[in-house]
Order: sequence, then structure tokens, then C-alpha cells
Amino acid sequence: MGRKYANPPIIEAVCEFRLTSETQWDLTVPGLLYERLKETFPQKEQRMVQEVELTQGPEGLQQQIRTSERLLFFTEDRKMLAQVGPRLLVVNALKPYPHWEGFKPRIEMAWKSLQETIEVRGLERIGLRYINRIELPAQGVELGDYFEFYPFVGKRFPQQMVSFLAYVEFSYADGRDRCRVQLAPIPISGAEGKTAFILDLDYFLARPRGVAVADALAWVEEAHSRVEEVFEGCITDNLRNMFEEVL
Amino acid sequence: MVTTVPYLHRPQLKTSMMELQGTKAEDVKPESPNILTFCDFLQSSRQSSVEIVSLLLQRGSESVVIDIERLMEWIARRVRLENPHSIREYLLRFTELLDVIPQAVDAAKKHFPEAQLVMDVYQDPEIADCYLVLFIRLKHYDDSVIERLEKAEAEFLDQLVNKEGWIQLTTDFREPEGEDVL
Repeated sequence: MGRKYANPPIIEAVCEFRLTSETQWDLTVPGLLYERLKETFPQKEQRMVQEVELTQGPEGLQQQIRTSERLLFFTEDRKMLAQVGPRLLVVNALKPYPHWEGFKPRIEMAWKSLQETIEVRGLERIGLRYINRIELPAQGVELGDYFEFYPFVGKRFPQQMVSFLAYVEFSYADGRDRCRVQLAPIPISGAEGKTAFILDLDYFLARPRGVAVADALAWVEEAHSRVEEVFEGCITDNLRNMFEEVL
Repeated sequence: MVTTVPYLHRPQLKTSMMELQGTKAEDVKPESPNILTFCDFLQSSRQSSVEIVSLLLQRGSESVVIDIERLMEWIARRVRLENPHSIREYLLRFTELLDVIPQAVDAAKKHFPEAQLVMDVYQDPEIADCYLVLFIRLKHYDDSVIERLEKAEAEFLDQLVNKEGWIQLTTDFREPEGEDVL
């Protein structure tokens, strides 16, 4: 059981199920799924989404842009939503984060509803991502005071960074899973004297079909535990105190 | 050793991710928020520090917050934002507008290339209604302004049909102001 905070820095949590191409999918699926989800996610919206597919060919990196329609189903208070696109189901929780006890049941409900709607034949990717915005009430902060994940630069470099991106992928479950950790400062408009960072944690299935469809929810539970560990590994007690741990 | 990060001012991005990798943006899709992946950035040899924010925000359209931040960054390079926090909150309420705003900004730029564009959230003082406003600000106003506004609006108005959010293109007949004034 991980720590709980009264003021968690989470601005969005995202759970994504991307299905393999063997799964039959047609234009009726989003509508059928909405019928099952609408009690929890009644507000329906539509967006066009562009995705870039990169492939390494003999002539170098090829990129192809695909535009697809995505339906967004929001809860009444618009703090949670489910997104449905071609062979894609995403459940998002926005700020204030409802804690895992509030988020997990929605993920389970959406996933089970999808399985009741179509026969899911395989999982290309599952992801559990937490995007944290950490705002510090100071300028010129010393990263080591707040983070245990930040870039190291030797003494020959200027010690004042204008900007940076710390990006690491960690391997889990014998390479089946990975956790991508990113930390970078972000600008704050209209709030001089503060510094803000985005700490983005994305635990995902790196090996397509590496998890059986029946084990998807167990994978999500495990992913959550790993993300909690990584999050705690990224921060110091100074941040824990700011987030106000609930004992 | 301690690494410090100074306060970052609001970025004025000089180049897009497309430009970073030496690809013309118009080769892919003109005037729309960039959608490249991390690989692109890694392969770029010309990245500058301020684009790190772009990189951080470019991943995955599955995240609503990241989509909004990506759009905000795109808008900020073209439009003066009066209340970024309110605009973010509005976009979070009306995510459908994420697709429309680039079209509105592009249309305004096309018909008013000489104008300063200003975006704000308008709150109706009498009823609980608010919407986004995109102001055109010119050094000199002439008789063609209203006609040009109508033409610009016509380019994206149909995209607002059946959407709950709204963006209004208009002018407050003020002169351009601020550091980015033309």
C-alpha cells in the first residue's frame, strides 16, 4: 500500500488499453460501448486525433500521419472520462485525483464493458500514466532538495541550468514492461517567484501481447504499485511534506 | 553537487519540433499543433533548451491535459494570452474546442496578418455563461474590418455547430499592446 497525500500533485492519470489488430473493430463499437458506459460517463463529445506512425525503413525514418475519430465520454462533473478510438480504450482521471480507490473501479468498469461489447483478442499495449505538476514556491531551486531523479552534470559545467529534460526508461518484469520517467521544468505565467516541474510517469507494456487479455486488470494493479514506487523514488521528504501525507 | 534551476520565464518558442528536425511544418500539416514523437526529438541535432517543454508535452494524445498544454504552447506562439489559467480551465470544460481553436487562429491570421491577436475568457456578468474570445487588435481600423472579421469567422464557424463551447472572433478596437506588439 503506497503513501497517500492530501495535496497530491497529480494533474491527470491515464489508463490505456490498445488492442491488437486481430480484434475485430468497426464503426458501431464506440456507440455500443457508450450504451454500457453512459450511466457513469454520460457526456459525449467527439474529437479528431492525429497520430504519427514512425517506421525505420531502408530509406530512413518514414512518418505517416493518421487521423482518426475519437469519442470522449465524460462523467457529469467532467473530472473523469473514457476515450474510445479504433482498437483503443482510455480512462482518464483529472485533478483532483480521486485516489486509486476511485480510479480503479472506473478502469475495471470500462474494460469489462469493452469486453462485453467485443471479443478482445490481444493487447498491443497497456499503459498507466501519471502526470504530476509540482510547483515550488521559490526561484532558483536546488533540485536535490526536492527530487531524487534529476540530471547530473559534472563540476566543469555551469551549475545553473536554463532548462533540462531528465528522461529514463526503466525495465520491469524481465523486459516485458517499462516505466518511462520524465522530469522537466515548465514555465509559469503570472506567478513570478515560483518554479514548476512536470514529473511524468508512464508504466507500460513494452512487449506487445506480453499480457493475456484475462490478466489485463491484474497487470494494471501491478503497474499502479510500480508507479507508486517510482514516484516515491523520485521525490524527497521536502516534497512529501508539501504534499501532506495522510497517515 | 547541487544543480539549480532558475525561474523560467514564459517561453517564446523560436522553432517548432518540425523545424528542429529540418522538416518543413507545411510538409506535414500546415499551422497545427505539432504531433511528433520523442524519437524525432532525439534524432534532432538542433534542439534548443526551450523546446524541451515541447518535447515533454508532445507524447500521447491520450492525455487531455497534455493535449491542452500542447495547444496552449502552440497558441502562445501566435496569440497574446490574457488569462492562461482561465483559458486552460475553459478548454478542460470544453475539450471539443481543441480541434477548432487552431482553425480560428489560422483564419484570423490569414485575414488579419497585420493584427495582434489576443485571447481571453469572457464571463458574462449577467448570466452564468462564458466563452473564449479572440480579439483582433490593429494599429489602424478601417471600414474593411467588420467584413474581414466575417470572412475569417466563416472559415471555422461550422466547426462550432453542436459543440457546447464557443470561441468568438471579434475586436475591441484597441491598439496592440505588450512586449510582443507588432
